[in-house]
Amino acid sequence: MTQPVETWFQKNHFLVRRLHSLAGIVPIGVFLCIHLYTNSLAFVGPEKFNEHVKQLHEIPNLLVVELIGIFLPIAFHAWYGILIAQSGRINVAQYGWLDNWRYTLQRVTGWIAIVFILLHLAHFRFAHWFGGPAYQEVVAKGTTPFDLTAAGFIMWLPMGLWMLVYAVGLTASVYHFCNGIVTFCITWGITVNDLSRKRVSIAAAALAIVLLGFGLSSLAALASGPAPKATAALLNP
Amino acid sequence: MSKLIRLTIQRQDARESHPYAQTFEIEHKPQMNVISCLQDIAARPVTVAGEQTTPVAWDCNCLEEVCGACTMVINGRVRQACTALVDNLLKEQATIDLKPMSKFPVVRDLFVDRSRMFAALKKVRAWIDVDTYGYLGEGPKVEPSVADRRYELSCCMTCGCCMDVCPQVNDGSDFIGPQAIGQAALFNMHPTGAMSADQRLEALMGPGGITDCGNAQNCVKACPKEVPLTWAIGKTGRDTTVHAIRRWFVK
Repeated sequence: MTQPVETWFQKNHFLVRRLHSLAGIVPIGVFLCIHLYTNSLAFVGPEKFNEHVKQLHEIPNLLVVELIGIFLPIAFHAWYGILIAQSGRINVAQYGWLDNWRYTLQRVTGWIAIVFILLHLAHFRFAHWFGGPAYQEVVAKGTTPFDLTAAGFIMWLPMGLWMLVYAVGLTASVYHFCNGIVTFCITWGITVNDLSRKRVSIAAAALAIVLLGFGLSSLAALASGPAPKATAALLNP
Repeated sequence: MSKLIRLTIQRQDARESHPYAQTFEIEHKPQMNVISCLQDIAARPVTVAGEQTTPVAWDCNCLEEVCGACTMVINGRVRQACTALVDNLLKEQATIDLKPMSKFPVVRDLFVDRSRMFAALKKVRAWIDVDTYGYLGEGPKVEPSVADRRYELSCCMTCGCCMDVCPQVNDGSDFIGPQAIGQAALFNMHPTGAMSADQRLEALMGPGGITDCGNAQNCVKACPKEVPLTWAIGKTGRDTTVHAIRRWFVK
């Protein structure tokens, strides 16, 4: 019964591979940039962060937008990415060239990103499903998005461990996206010669630094603000 | 007393049999290469343990790095045995290590079956279609920069180094490999070959084609002839993109 499905994918191999490549940039990569920008407002100030998150929550039919714009593309990119990753045999121990390391890391960070995104969705996006009574209590008190997020970082695990998990997940996701920009440009035939590839690599590395700066600064703000102490008292009365 | 050199060689008696290692010791001579080591071993096939064995089988032909036949994994790196000079190899490690290429079926010892690369050339129609032996007059003029790039691509000797180092070429994948993509690009750049460019692009757009490249870019670094393989892959990526758009929206 699986034969017709395989045949369809074989027939449209080029289209599916190109869609996989495109999905990594638009919408997933664009979403990652927007998401990390939003997060960085936590570092600028809790009020800015709260205001911006409230605006996002006012997007009409938010769940539908998320489903079509984010969840489905990520699910497709992840599922097909696993198939692609399984078709390779890593040989970086034998041939340790820089580009071969980048190839290897692209696969390793892909795996990390899948696990991290699933955890992150359960932890924050669908926390009202998984958070339990203590979390519901925090929500019921009309806690602001900033305080709610800070509460998430002391729920289930010690804060230090959460920060480690998020720092690793963030770095892996940013690497996967930014190195993915470079391979996207090769795949689509935008960068054909070596010099253009080098230039795109430098630009992608610069973007990676900015995105990491956004992400890590938001983590630092959420871990060190006055809010966690208040929410800690709530979660562990 | 002359110096002795040691070689550890991966042996395999037949296609499906299990590989095993044997170590040999031979006299060092000036200017030795791996081929001359194998010739010395063939003259006296006795291991360091004193065991009488069969001569090691290997493939070679031109002995000047233009045929690609003697390609094998030497000290962990795939290259031609003819241009692998012993004195350089001994600087890498004390015992020279010889293994057959890892991405091709072993026929015997260091001799592998590289016919999948020739099948790949057929698949991408790596030739110019000619429908007559009659005189057709002068061909179209070719820009010098195009001719230069085509010359670089034409240096491919189908040795298989690019296949051996490619993480996407393996027994669990259909990937055709960098060599055939390079040759498709070569013939697509020929004024007459360009007339059947679409057929070559189509052949590379299915499963195992250009899209299965993982951009590890090992091929171009391993290529002994410095064939611009990653350029060819990028160019073919562009050509297939344009071809797909034309096919979907124009034709």
